Amino acid sequence: MFTNKLIKLFCIWLCILPFSESIAQDNDGPSFEDLLNGFNDPTRWLTYSGDYSGRRHSPLIQITPSNVDQLRPVWTFQTGTTTRGRGFETTPLLDNGVLYVTGSNNYAWALDARTGRAFWRYRRNLPNDLTYGASAPVNRGFGMLGNQLFMVTLDAYLMSFDRRTGDVLWERELADYRIGYSATLAPLVLDNKVIVGISGGEYQTRGFIDAFDPISGERIWRFNTVPGPGEVGSETWPNDPAVLAAGGGGTWMNGSYDPDLNLIYWGVGNPNPDYYDENRPGDNLYTDSIVALDANTGELRWHYQFTPHDVNDWDANQIPVLANIDWEGEPRRVVMVGNRNGFFYVLDRVTGEFLLGEPFTATTWAREIGADGRPIVLNDGSQGCLPDPWGSTNFYPPSFYPGLDLFILTARETCATYVAEEPANTPGQSNFGGTVFIDAEKGHGALRALDVHTGELEWEFTYPSPTFGGVMTTASGLVFAGDHEGNFMAFNAETGENLWHYQTGSRIWGAAAVTYMLDGRQYVLIPSGTTLQAFAL
Amino acid sequence: MKSNRTINNSQLAISLNSLLLLMLLVVNSYAQTLNPLETDPRAARAGGSIFRAQCATCHGADAKGISTIDAPDLTMMWSQRQLSEEDVFQTIRDGISGSIMPPHSFPDTEIWMLVSFLRSVAEVGTSNEVAGDSSRGAQLFTRYCSDCHRANGNGGSLGPDLSNITARRSLSALISSIRNPSVNITRLYKPVSFITMDNESVQGTIKSEDAFSIQMMDSNQVLRGFTKSNLRELRYEQQSLMPTFAESSLSNTDVDDLISYLQSNRSR
Repeated sequence: MFTNKLIKLFCIWLCILPFSESIAQDNDGPSFEDLLNGFNDPTRWLTYSGDYSGRRHSPLIQITPSNVDQLRPVWTFQTGTTTRGRGFETTPLLDNGVLYVTGSNNYAWALDARTGRAFWRYRRNLPNDLTYGASAPVNRGFGMLGNQLFMVTLDAYLMSFDRRTGDVLWERELADYRIGYSATLAPLVLDNKVIVGISGGEYQTRGFIDAFDPISGERIWRFNTVPGPGEVGSETWPNDPAVLAAGGGGTWMNGSYDPDLNLIYWGVGNPNPDYYDENRPGDNLYTDSIVALDANTGELRWHYQFTPHDVNDWDANQIPVLANIDWEGEPRRVVMVGNRNGFFYVLDRVTGEFLLGEPFTATTWAREIGADGRPIVLNDGSQGCLPDPWGSTNFYPPSFYPGLDLFILTARETCATYVAEEPANTPGQSNFGGTVFIDAEKGHGALRALDVHTGELEWEFTYPSPTFGGVMTTASGLVFAGDHEGNFMAFNAETGENLWHYQTGSRIWGAAAVTYMLDGRQYVLIPSGTTLQAFAL
Repeated sequence: MKSNRTINNSQLAISLNSLLLLMLLVVNSYAQTLNPLETDPRAARAGGSIFRAQCATCHGADAKGISTIDAPDLTMMWSQRQLSEEDVFQTIRDGISGSIMPPHSFPDTEIWMLVSFLRSVAEVGTSNEVAGDSSRGAQLFTRYCSDCHRANGNGGSLGPDLSNITARRSLSALISSIRNPSVNITRLYKPVSFITMDNESVQGTIKSEDAFSIQMMDSNQVLRGFTKSNLRELRYEQQSLMPTFAESSLSNTDVDDLISYLQSNRSR
């Protein structure tokens, strides 16, 4: 009898052992190796785009073009915080059945991924004199490493949390929010580095990219997006330290990372003032550029400027999408960007060499990108309307579908007239330098799939209004996208045929879907309005 | 022993300072209830510059709002609500709690400049009394307008409620809407027509629309929703559902009478 009990206990112990080890392993949280693995473990979503490439392309195949019409809501999480005029722009992270979610106004939660119920909640006490952060009180997600979460704030801090409790471990000021700085992106976490950028290019600010030690919170390096006097690139500005010190160049959206090259790729925003340019002749590097930085040192390896001397607020703060593709018969490591100026670009990500630049909207701004990589401008605004300052696309994620070699993005067709006016250049006050007249009657949006080799349109699905929803694809041949009217939709990746839609009740703005496996079931999540909504078959 | 009421020089200085402070507070308080720049013609112009730099991103360069980001039309606010200039001043200063409208730390003078600008671009409505026969206008309204428009609680709903239209639209804008109704069709009243898969022909005005569905009021003033995949043909019409009233069908005198009627019944 006693022996039988011992055998039973031994069996129970044997059964528990692997589970316990799993728990112990999971309790340590994801390592850098786990982050590098990206989508290899589909029960996790550990970085903003799911992996470092920025492709937002999941290998999951349970939901397919033939069964997606049976997709139905599973749970809804109500955030209880609003962002009137903007959106719930976050990408949740998932590990070990727990979702880590940031919200507007620097709320944050840990949620049960099976039910949407909260384990813990956090809300930052923000100052009442926020500058840029008051007009765009959004956040785009956590970064995660081990048991630490990282989040930036509207008063321009980087914070670290204990993911088990939501307790704050440390916080570091990035810049003085009272001048106009803020921070909204999801930190890019590498091996022993947390990399963040800064918002506020509409104010008297100077952009930068910072790397912090995740444990100590000490800053490791800073890259200034506007050079100092005498530094390389300063020749593209007037010789005026005051202009350089407030040259703009925000870095407010996530970058991507190539571990083989150890380079990070990051988009830089508009010069300050946005529309008025009398005080800033020249190309104004590195505004409206993509920069490739050494991840260890922050040193610039190369740059490419999409919109030299921008006067239309066409930030280059889009997700850089990394892929290895065949290019004219040779394998090529490329970075692809659907830019706010209406052109789709392919660059060699080792050297920065310009490979392709083709319009994806009916822009009248430039006819083409010349062989030297500079735009051949047709219309500076005097020949009719231009894409509006919200852009032909924006920061919301696109997706790259390998095999089909399609770059799928949300495009905006708009018509705007810009009138420049000298601004006051007052710290703490926005500094657009003029006015934009947008013809609301002429706008619409579209989900567009581009052949990455030619930039040609393969298919599109039209939306009634200019849309700010992002895109995710899955290897089963599906595209998930959201629109301004609140529809969360699935499309056939090969044809663009709409296969499913669900009206979420509020616009999907600045966010893209995530997907993961849990208990053998594929979930798809989308933030919409003030809710996070989960779907499954 | 000196009297307790004796005041030395330092006490006198403190009292004078207090008096000065009190005067300043009174002046300041006064400044916050009345626009001190009301009579200064430069104020609206300067306020326009501030508006375009600080406010136009959300409210539009013409202050008419941007509906896609829920930023309201500021040219209509004066006539839609009982707003004083002080109300507008305080809203700019304090922002709107729970909304994206932030507080602003501009100096008082700049806020008053903004108020002056907003007053200058306000939809002023038909301020002068129109010399018409309002009782005859009431009859004309019943005959020509009330099938689709409401005034003072009576009439249809296919077109906008006209009870307070004269507070929001100038005389020339009203006449233009009567003579050429298709030139400027307000959102929520855009015309649409389609044929369903059941061969029903439907006309009406669009209330809402997305990629898959359309919500409308049909010409019988019934709210109806349709799935676009169930429509055989969908046309966004350019011609308003409102008939064009030329002088041959509605004389200038008739128009004056109509507007006089609408003016006589508006609430403010």
